[in-house]
Amino acid sequence: MLPEWLPWLLQVNDSQFPSGAYAHSMGLEELVQRGVVKKPEDLEAFLQHQIIPSLLAFELPYLIQAHALAGQGDTAGLRALDEELDAWKLAAELRQASRQLGSRRLSLIQKLDADPALAAYAASGAPCHHLIACALELRRLPVAAAACAFSLQTLSGYAISAMKLMRLGQERCQFIIHGSMAILAPQINVLVESPTERIGWFNPLLEIASMRHARANERLFIS
Amino acid sequence: MAETGVPFRLNGHLHLIGSCYESGQTYLRERSFRAPLHLSKPHEDAGALVVNMVNPTAGIFDGDIIELRAEAESGASLVLTTPSASRVYRSRSGGPAKVKQTFRVQSDGFLEFYPEPFIPQAGARYQQKTELHVAPGGRLLYFDWLSPGRVASGEVFQYAELIWDMDVWTDGKLAARERYRLSPEDHSLDSLRRLYPQGHYLGCFFLGAQELPVAELEALNSPEVYLGHGPLSSGGFSIKVLCQDSLSARRTLQRLRTILYRGMQRQVPTLGRHL
Repeated sequence: MLPEWLPWLLQVNDSQFPSGAYAHSMGLEELVQRGVVKKPEDLEAFLQHQIIPSLLAFELPYLIQAHALAGQGDTAGLRALDEELDAWKLAAELRQASRQLGSRRLSLIQKLDADPALAAYAASGAPCHHLIACALELRRLPVAAAACAFSLQTLSGYAISAMKLMRLGQERCQFIIHGSMAILAPQINVLVESPTERIGWFNPLLEIASMRHARANERLFIS
Repeated sequence: MAETGVPFRLNGHLHLIGSCYESGQTYLRERSFRAPLHLSKPHEDAGALVVNMVNPTAGIFDGDIIELRAEAESGASLVLTTPSASRVYRSRSGGPAKVKQTFRVQSDGFLEFYPEPFIPQAGARYQQKTELHVAPGGRLLYFDWLSPGRVASGEVFQYAELIWDMDVWTDGKLAARERYRLSPEDHSLDSLRRLYPQGHYLGCFFLGAQELPVAELEALNSPEVYLGHGPLSSGGFSIKVLCQDSLSARRTLQRLRTILYRGMQRQVPTLGRHL
């Protein structure tokens, strides 16, 4: 039996879904320019040692909370988490990118999904961070599937932007995404079954990279 | 150590409230401290009252609990600093040392916190919670200097666990939140040592300022220094720096302080020591 939510997930998680993610490297462009990430092996290490731990320690626990609130229709709780995300994202460019991606995604899904709660949230003046928009978009999915979809978006976003920044072919790019997801996926189940109380991750290198990217004279990506 | 072999644990505090005479001079309206913290005699410089916070013991040990509260009331200018590095020693019990610090600035007040480096030694366990609160019209300059350990003794990122919590509130609104756990057990140190294997981290919050002296800050970047800066979500700025070693960290911190004071059109108060 085909899960009812699967066609929706395939559509909204498709790389062709016009969320605008293709225009963002989320700090990676500056790290490539700085020589921190130069080749595919570096990208693999970057994803596995910096992005996956961040997903597990920060974004996914946060998404699990947001997903529960979205499922309950708790707009006030979701709004509080959304505004708190503004404070968590110290680098202004990453903060702005997250808001842009979220707003754009929410703007489209409210047209595809007739639930008036989506339109009401979009019109409420909330920051609409990407993570919150994903929680709303994927609220009818099992939380593990939502976390997996969000993780794939994040990892593939970095890997696909890397193809424009270094010598990296499509096939190798997919291998890197696959390898990263293979590491991450088993840990998502653990996280869902035993949510961590303490949320947070420290990546001053990526934050500084993003802050510097905001002032770069030449750049390919918005963030 | 006590005769029983149980380590002494200190429950210390430092509470300060800087207030302002009608003449504009800052004085300490309230001061209270208990070991391991002590105050040296404050001095006045460049319109601010400079207070050196001293820990005359060897440093911070597991089980120690320290609370630091400092407030600049309306019109007061208070600079709080430490004359020497803060060391946290190897945890003998397996438990952490805990420090809670709260800094508040009222309208038209000014507070700077400028500590010497924080040195977590091999096996150290430490938890720090910091809150910054700034009312409209107040200004707060907060620095952090996290070293990788006793580098000269070969201890680089060998501490057991650092837990760091930071909340920044401007005008009652949460402007920045950081929560992290650093440990050699996982990948949490990767971004600190990726660029410089013995890297020092400098963090700065510049609150109540309308703008940053961007060109001067950008000029601090070099092969030894990787610096970024930007606005927070609801007022104020964050500056983050990775430095190659302690010398570049000290140099950068001193220059950064001077630049930010110049940006505020204030003279830089001397800290009462040669650096």
